[in-house]
Amino acid sequence: MVSVDESRRESPAVGGAPKPKKLREYAAYLFLLPAFAFVGAFSYYPAVRALIGAFTSWNGVSAPHWVGLTNFITAFQSAEFGAAVIHILIWAAIGIPLGLIPSFFVAEAIFRLPGRRAQYLYRTFFILPVVLPGVVGILIWYFFYEPGGIIDSLLKAVGFSHFAELPWLADFHTALGALIFMGFPWVGAFNLLIYYAGLQGISSEIFDAAAVDGCSWFRRMIRIDIPLLLAQTKLLLVLAVIGVGQILIQPLLMTNGGPGVSTTMTPVLYMYQQAIDYDQYGYSMGVAFILFAALMILTLFNMKYFRTK
Amino acid sequence: MSRRRSFLSTHVFLVTLGALTLYPMFFMVVNAMRTGVATATSPFGLPSYFHWMNFVYAWDGIASAFALTGWIELVSVVVTLAAAILASYAFARMQFQAKNLLFTIMFALLVIPGFLTLIPLFLEIRDFDLLNTSWGLILPYIAGGQAFAIFVLRSFIETIPEEMFEAARIDGANHWRMFLNFVLPLAVPMLITLALLQIVGIYGDYVFPSLVLNSTQHTVSLAIANFTPPAMAPDINAVNIQLAAFTLSAVPIAILFFALMKYFVNGMSSGALKM
Repeated sequence: MVSVDESRRESPAVGGAPKPKKLREYAAYLFLLPAFAFVGAFSYYPAVRALIGAFTSWNGVSAPHWVGLTNFITAFQSAEFGAAVIHILIWAAIGIPLGLIPSFFVAEAIFRLPGRRAQYLYRTFFILPVVLPGVVGILIWYFFYEPGGIIDSLLKAVGFSHFAELPWLADFHTALGALIFMGFPWVGAFNLLIYYAGLQGISSEIFDAAAVDGCSWFRRMIRIDIPLLLAQTKLLLVLAVIGVGQILIQPLLMTNGGPGVSTTMTPVLYMYQQAIDYDQYGYSMGVAFILFAALMILTLFNMKYFRTK
Repeated sequence: MSRRRSFLSTHVFLVTLGALTLYPMFFMVVNAMRTGVATATSPFGLPSYFHWMNFVYAWDGIASAFALTGWIELVSVVVTLAAAILASYAFARMQFQAKNLLFTIMFALLVIPGFLTLIPLFLEIRDFDLLNTSWGLILPYIAGGQAFAIFVLRSFIETIPEEMFEAARIDGANHWRMFLNFVLPLAVPMLITLALLQIVGIYGDYVFPSLVLNSTQHTVSLAIANFTPPAMAPDINAVNIQLAAFTLSAVPIAILFFALMKYFVNGMSSGALKM
């Protein structure tokens, strides 16, 4: 809180001729009004509604009624939600390294090149895919995975002919893997830029000293680059955990959770289906509440780890 | 000698990975230009003949979506930034009782994930009778853009030297004058970066528009996901027409990308704050 004395002291620096304090404050609230009106109506109201709705049973039409913790108990006993949680853990274990490692190597390779022009050109090429709407990126991979599509042709070409005509997204054994491994070679524009900016931030004296000592490129990477990019790696890890926890659009567009009931179900897709397909709005908000709480705890844990190290 | 060779292998590595990264785009553009038979027989080759009719059919299917998306983007971005820069000015330059409290309330929003509000927001739009209207998307987009834009703009306004405000104050300028005369003009590069981020974000949004809009009205991302080639187009071309529609959908962002590359890169790097 700003005390009266403090605002008096600073008052000559702001505003025109001294005005009564109330009038000056009134002006500040006018400046803030539009932003807070939008945020109150379309961010806070739905967020509060989500958190309260989690404790109700509601079909979206008749009046909701209070059910206490029933939604949470139902969710934890649901086989589908359990499967969704396991899928997201598998997804995190495989997808997070895939998101970080190739981007790191590309950033490293670009940064080592002599000449700003070459670095600039390569960087542009690698971030070019951001011009594609996300939906398009996913649907192109849908074509790739189709029976007789590019993936099958490639496998056939290198001799795995028994895989040809495999319906990757419709097969119980391959559907989840197909979603997780989508996006080969997994060089992400954002991760690449963060690592590249991190490398630019390292003092050139350190690299010069390494060069004088005859440090090989591999040794330099292990001993200098990776440790000095720890902050970037931690940031990307925190963001990746949050991102994987919220995966919805890939299974929604490509498999809708199938084949079967839950082969590629994710927690957010489960939440979505319970509301939109089954009109279980209260239960859906209960699932969202569990996820939100889990992500908050994970993020706070990660942030704390961040600071102390 | 060994120095040169090590850079050669770096180039080989980067060109290989770059080609693989760009392959989906190559696949899309090349097959948008040909017919089904050629797609199946040579997925890596270049088209021998440009089937421009694919683009004509594709354009017919998504032209109205472009118009609707343009309108939604324009209103959302202008109002988002106008509301955000006013609030940022107040947070950076004005004194008032509830400053810390309001500040906390605004930035707590940065940790509220999209999925939490997705369903209640859809219900709210339904209750306000805004389903199937562009306002059902515009209003939530404006609200959703505030916290991040204010965070960035407030830090920026705080870097403007105190002397400028001092000089303006001696000239008798009030807050509104200072805001219009130099804070707003100085913030233009920052506003362009924020506008780009929001344009790209809204353009790529699929799930929320799919709930708010019905089957007759589409944004570009929706139209692409639900694209069905026109009935009179030959069957053999269906996939190619779809890929032509994908290609067209990438054009607006591609133009912005090449025209405003510097802002794009800055924006993506600062996007780290967004969750």
